[in-house]
Amino acid sequence: MTESEVAQQSAEQPTPGIVPAANRTVSSGRRAILSVTDLKKYFPVKSSGLIRRTVGYVQAVDGVSFEVAEGSALGLVGESGCGKSTTGRLITRLYDPTSGSMMFEGKDLAKLSAKAMTPMRKEIQMIFQDPYSSLNPRHTVGTIVGTPLRVHKVVPEKQVLTRVRELLEVVGLNPEHYNRYPNEFSGGQRQRIGIARALALQPKLLVADEPVSALDVSIQAQVVNLLRDVQNEFNIAFLFIAHDLAVVRHFCPEIAVMYLGKIVEIGERESVYNHAHHPYTQALLSASPDVKQAAIGGRRERIRLEGDVPSPINPPSGCRFRTRCWLAQDICAKQEPPLLQIGKTHKVACHFAAELGNHPAKPITAPLLGTDDQGNHAPGSSPVEFSTNPGYDETWFDLKTKTFGNR
Amino acid sequence: MGRLRSDKVAIVCAAIVVIFILIAVFAPLLTRLFGVEVRAGDPSTDTDIFNFPVIGPPDHGFTWKAPLGLAPDTGDDNLAEWLYGARTSLMIASISTVFATLIGITIGLVAGFSRGWLDRVISFVIDVFLSLPFLLAALAVAPIIVLRFSDRPGLLKWATFFSLIFILIITGWMQLARLIRGEVLSLREREFIQAARVMGVPTRQILFKELLPNMVAPIVVSFSLTLPAIVTAEAGLSYLGIGVIGQPSWGQTVLKAVPYFDTYPLYLYAPVLGIFVLVVALNLLGDAIRDAFDPKTRR
Repeated sequence: MTESEVAQQSAEQPTPGIVPAANRTVSSGRRAILSVTDLKKYFPVKSSGLIRRTVGYVQAVDGVSFEVAEGSALGLVGESGCGKSTTGRLITRLYDPTSGSMMFEGKDLAKLSAKAMTPMRKEIQMIFQDPYSSLNPRHTVGTIVGTPLRVHKVVPEKQVLTRVRELLEVVGLNPEHYNRYPNEFSGGQRQRIGIARALALQPKLLVADEPVSALDVSIQAQVVNLLRDVQNEFNIAFLFIAHDLAVVRHFCPEIAVMYLGKIVEIGERESVYNHAHHPYTQALLSASPDVKQAAIGGRRERIRLEGDVPSPINPPSGCRFRTRCWLAQDICAKQEPPLLQIGKTHKVACHFAAELGNHPAKPITAPLLGTDDQGNHAPGSSPVEFSTNPGYDETWFDLKTKTFGNR
Repeated sequence: MGRLRSDKVAIVCAAIVVIFILIAVFAPLLTRLFGVEVRAGDPSTDTDIFNFPVIGPPDHGFTWKAPLGLAPDTGDDNLAEWLYGARTSLMIASISTVFATLIGITIGLVAGFSRGWLDRVISFVIDVFLSLPFLLAALAVAPIIVLRFSDRPGLLKWATFFSLIFILIITGWMQLARLIRGEVLSLREREFIQAARVMGVPTRQILFKELLPNMVAPIVVSFSLTLPAIVTAEAGLSYLGIGVIGQPSWGQTVLKAVPYFDTYPLYLYAPVLGIFVLVVALNLLGDAIRDAFDPKTRR
């Protein structure tokens, strides 16, 4: 389905809350460049032996929806194994998605063949986590940065070297070092080479898969600032995958928190960091060190999560976080919490969504799901239609008044 | 390369190998220099009534007319046969090694990079080839070829030559294919290969421009260790009568010289020493190259 078709379809059915895709805006008021809807990736688990039957699926990414605005940055955070890297690799089509759609410039990346994907590769590039394995050790820097230029024939062969030197200068490296091999550079410099390579095609979207996790803290800041500079200079949208909350806060105006293949909370930086409504986000935030508190010597109240992340092969029923959540009640096992928009630019998937310490005793989602407080189907009530919009709607569910509105 | 140069054993071995290559290349020139000829023997004039040569060893002293003596029975010149034998040996060994390496690289790359059924089929084929008894197959094939071309000696010479090369290639490629497959399996998951795929680099280019340069070390090592193995194999097969017919070769000379070992040992020593020195030099050079590529295995 193309973008215009989507727009047409929504125009025909004027459901409140669903705005035609073309007019849809993200928090910053900019146009959405990438809009991912209900993206899923299941990896088959094969039995051993001669006849390899599929005995199950690793539900690495299970129904993720989000939007990235043009020239903006969406931070994807979560602990290891929660599917954030898989999401990044799905968008660059290193993996083929199981289902869902990824609309980019009117094309659904999820349905393009490998051949049809080739011209799109110019628009979407990736920065990798490990600068020591993301550069071919047998190629010179000039070859590494020049490869995308040659493959897509962006510039004539004669000008490749000139362009490579320009790119090296952009990322703050000596342009005369194009003849050197990656092992002659430090980790931070290698990551800069990786960034230069990603910039070579002048992409509109950059998937940065933990771009600074492998670097020293002092170098991290330099690289993050470099990313910010190139973002401003070339108006590149970022999908910034990281587990470091401080780095994400510094870089991304929008944050999505993932847990076990699902987005549990997504929203604008300030609302997620200062008014986190999901217990998992609250636990994550409480675990990250706070300079101010350290300075005054106060003890932080930390939320200790017990146990391990459940296996994505056989995730818990209902809410996936319930096995480690201190708020969990019966409804959490029976009903999966919908990703409910609770503010202008804030969505959360929890039956007891509220700021830390104010969690309600009764599930706020029960009336919406048409159930009683234990999650059993309540006679006489029917569930509300939830918006499937990957962006934000004009109206949202107000937690105080328990009604939809747009105050 | 610098590490290789500082290795004295490697330098000596490389020099020996180079000398052998020069001998092989300039065999016609050298034979003319020594004033000897291949297949110039005349049994009626060059051998006595016991079929031993009339000049040179074993019954007479050293003579420049035949520095390594003449062959019994035929009266062929041993030095000329030895020089041309070096040529045959090295030619067969290098041709077989080059082709076996090329086949091994290609099949290994394809098997390693294609997940799923193609990889499984290729791995199965490799296993099948590894389990075939090639010596028996070669022993069976040799008489067929000899019989087929027996009436045309000109053709027979090349038929045996190429069938020997063919047998050596067929037996030689599997080890490298497995090695390359394993290397590809480990390299494929590295991020620079994924980066190449994100950039939209075509698969062929990923295989040959991104992966292959990272496998130069195992390929060179495999090449330098396959070469001596094939020199020995060629000599061994020739000794068993599956070798080249109609042109000089060390294995052929060994075959002919064995019955005369107690009366005319020099006849046997010359080719055996040639094979021994060449193979030891190539093996030590191969070891040195491997050490130079991988500092961790240094002794």
